[in-house]
Amino acid sequence: MYDWLLFLHLISAFLLAVTVVIYSAVAIGVTTPGRTRFVADRCWDVGGLGTLIFGIWLALNLDQYDFFDGWILGALVLWFIATGLGQTIQRRVNAPDGTGDDARALASMHWIRTIVIIGLLVLMIWKPGA
Amino acid sequence: MSLLAAIRPDDWNLALFVHILGAMLLVGSLVLVAMALAERDIRLGYRSLLFGVLPGWIVMRGGAEWIAEKEKVNDLDPVPSWVDVGYSVSDPMLLLIIIATVCAGIAARRQQRGGALRGTALALAGIMLVACAVAIWAMSTKPT
Repeated sequence: MYDWLLFLHLISAFLLAVTVVIYSAVAIGVTTPGRTRFVADRCWDVGGLGTLIFGIWLALNLDQYDFFDGWILGALVLWFIATGLGQTIQRRVNAPDGTGDDARALASMHWIRTIVIIGLLVLMIWKPGA
Repeated sequence: MSLLAAIRPDDWNLALFVHILGAMLLVGSLVLVAMALAERDIRLGYRSLLFGVLPGWIVMRGGAEWIAEKEKVNDLDPVPSWVDVGYSVSDPMLLLIIIATVCAGIAARRQQRGGALRGTALALAGIMLVACAVAIWAMSTKPT
């Protein structure tokens, strides 16, 4: 059970990485073709939901982790920050009246999201306080 | 083994972090390559292979060797099958990356909008994505 939950949690995290990589290309000025951003956005939606659901399930499934461990609560906070940034980026990128200033702000938001996702990975690996 | 992974020693963490970060760059770039080539943006596909997939593979593979050395999994007899799966997936993948990059590079240089070279690179990207999914499954479920 633990193995499969970890697999699904990891696959979800990789979907988030797909979004981060594709939007990094957009942030450095690459014009992405047609459906690429659509795929990136769906990866973000599914990956975000998957990491949360399977992550909480994993925490409840293993006796050595408690839902209220500091690193799990920290991960939840980072997850909500990343999700908020991701949803804002999606909404503003897909808005038809985007301006140059918007593009710079969106790129900044994307890089902050990227740092948050890397922070999540750090928490998942080091598990401080576990 | 999975429970051991959950309580691994702290000095394995950096190697694991590097390994996973490289793998994430590799998979994310492979999806970008597949999307770009499917949409006939060969130049983007080629650049993603060169500046995303190849560096991602190097970081992932370097991290893998680093953590394998720390865990001393290669000294075990027999070597765990999930380690074998990792090597069997990652090592041939370098060859596929090189072939796909050369194909996409030539197609981009010729300004082709389609053709066999783009199709080959796209098919290889698809194969590599499936191989990555198998490797992630093996690394997380650690089948004996």
